[in-house]
Amino acid sequence: MNFMIHANHLLVLFTISTMLSVLWFLLSLLSLLLLPCLRPCFPAKGSLKNKKKIDKGTYVVGEEETPKELQRELMPRHVAVIMDGNRRWAKQTGLLTSQGYEAGAKRLLEFADLCFKLGINTVSAFAFSTENWGRHKIEVKCLMYLFQRYLKSKIQFFQSKEIRVSVIGNLAKIPESLLRTVHELEEATKSYKKKHLILAIDYSGRFDILGACKNIVKKSEQGLIREEDVDETFFERELQTRCTEFPSPDLLIRTSGEQRISNFFLWQLAYTEFFFSPVLWPDFDKQKFIEALVSYQRRDRRFGSRL
Amino acid sequence: MDSNQSMRLLSAWIGQIGDLGLNLLWRFIHIVVSLWYIVSGIFEAIESYAITLGLNKKYGSIDLEKLRCLAVVVDIEAAQDVANVVELLQWLTTIGVKQVGLFDSQGLLKKSKDLILETVPGSMLLEEIEKDVAPDGKRIALEFISSSDNKEAVMKAANILLQRYLKSSHPEDDKGEDFFTESHLNDALRVVGENVHVPDLLLVYGPIRSHLGFPAWRLRYTEIVHMGTLKYMRYGSLLKAIHKFTGVHQNYGT
Repeated sequence: MNFMIHANHLLVLFTISTMLSVLWFLLSLLSLLLLPCLRPCFPAKGSLKNKKKIDKGTYVVGEEETPKELQRELMPRHVAVIMDGNRRWAKQTGLLTSQGYEAGAKRLLEFADLCFKLGINTVSAFAFSTENWGRHKIEVKCLMYLFQRYLKSKIQFFQSKEIRVSVIGNLAKIPESLLRTVHELEEATKSYKKKHLILAIDYSGRFDILGACKNIVKKSEQGLIREEDVDETFFERELQTRCTEFPSPDLLIRTSGEQRISNFFLWQLAYTEFFFSPVLWPDFDKQKFIEALVSYQRRDRRFGSRL
Repeated sequence: MDSNQSMRLLSAWIGQIGDLGLNLLWRFIHIVVSLWYIVSGIFEAIESYAITLGLNKKYGSIDLEKLRCLAVVVDIEAAQDVANVVELLQWLTTIGVKQVGLFDSQGLLKKSKDLILETVPGSMLLEEIEKDVAPDGKRIALEFISSSDNKEAVMKAANILLQRYLKSSHPEDDKGEDFFTESHLNDALRVVGENVHVPDLLLVYGPIRSHLGFPAWRLRYTEIVHMGTLKYMRYGSLLKAIHKFTGVHQNYGT
């Protein structure tokens, strides 16, 4: 049976649809305004289903597609990080300092894993500076024990992910047990090429430069080099970052709002892009890292090429 | 047939209304974001002018005891326009900063140092002050730095240390463990004409958040602040950055 829709029926339908679209528009607007407030309450989309559980509750992000706000070809090759704010984070969350360091160590693994999945080749982390020896003896002891235990427990993890681990720094003062673990870890992962994690323990930028001078002296004494051979390129090969294909970081991230290098890669950071984040290291999540990468890529696009 | 046609017409209308809604939403978001940037920009400018006019009492008196040496990094583009650099130095003199290191990677400011020293009232070279010409009142000591004072200088200093070490009588088993210390390298850097003044604060003017090759040896605990481009510098922002620095606590790793 044919029937005609009268003009007034159409008008009613049109009014209803207009009201619905206005309502939808207002709801969209409201959700946009509320989204930042709601984000802490809910996990990010797919954050649970994409996570594989690793031993003792450490979550590592699942296979990453490059987020749409990033360009894979503009990714930094080497990202360095000064992991600041573990103690403050522990204090704020009512935990022990050691638990703060533990949370920081877990965050580093997640961060490094995310970096490698985004196509970043090298990640350097300032784990313990030479100046940190000035801290309370118990705290230093606790840190050394954490390094030893954590690195030992993660050897298989690094092997399964094919991550090469190098430890740089003075290493003369560190405990024997940690030194053994470091050698074991470096030996177990030395054949991997694509992913490289560099941990700086008892590291000082000035010590690194002086160390390069000492290496040059040793080589000249052995007759391996002449005085005139010593140029910038040669000098760079004597720094501790000689262990990586990309010794100069493209991006340096420092968390917890401090805006200084604190005697980290002094020589290597000449043209590195800095990103200072107010967030404490254990809270420096994927979203914050993407912010840092977006900031870096904006600069990279503006200048056409890496400096 | 008519009912199908009218339903199609209706769904087309609803689709168009939906598209219109989405379009409106997108434009609205765009306007909100643009407005946010404009408002925050205006707020920053107002705050800057308020500081300049002395309306914000917080920035009235800055304790400059902590700021013994300030360094300014200028990108190459900005270094070509000496007028802005001169204005910046005049502001720093007004604030009461006594020692400033000016850095650009290609040494353009080094080449223009005579012009800068002439134009900035009360300015003199740092070397002159070190020859016991004490700065009095509103005087400012300037040091001109370029990339050649960075890695190149360290290389020369390393070569000096190498020569000294090889000439010295040293035990066979000693491999320079005590010969190469920070003070030794500082000394060698002075020999090659490199000042080793460590800036307390480094202000970076330029589009890049990087220190652009400022002498690495000096940057151990320097506070680094990115100030935007020199072209759009503001006195209020400068005062704010220095004030913020004076409130920073450094525990030097302990």
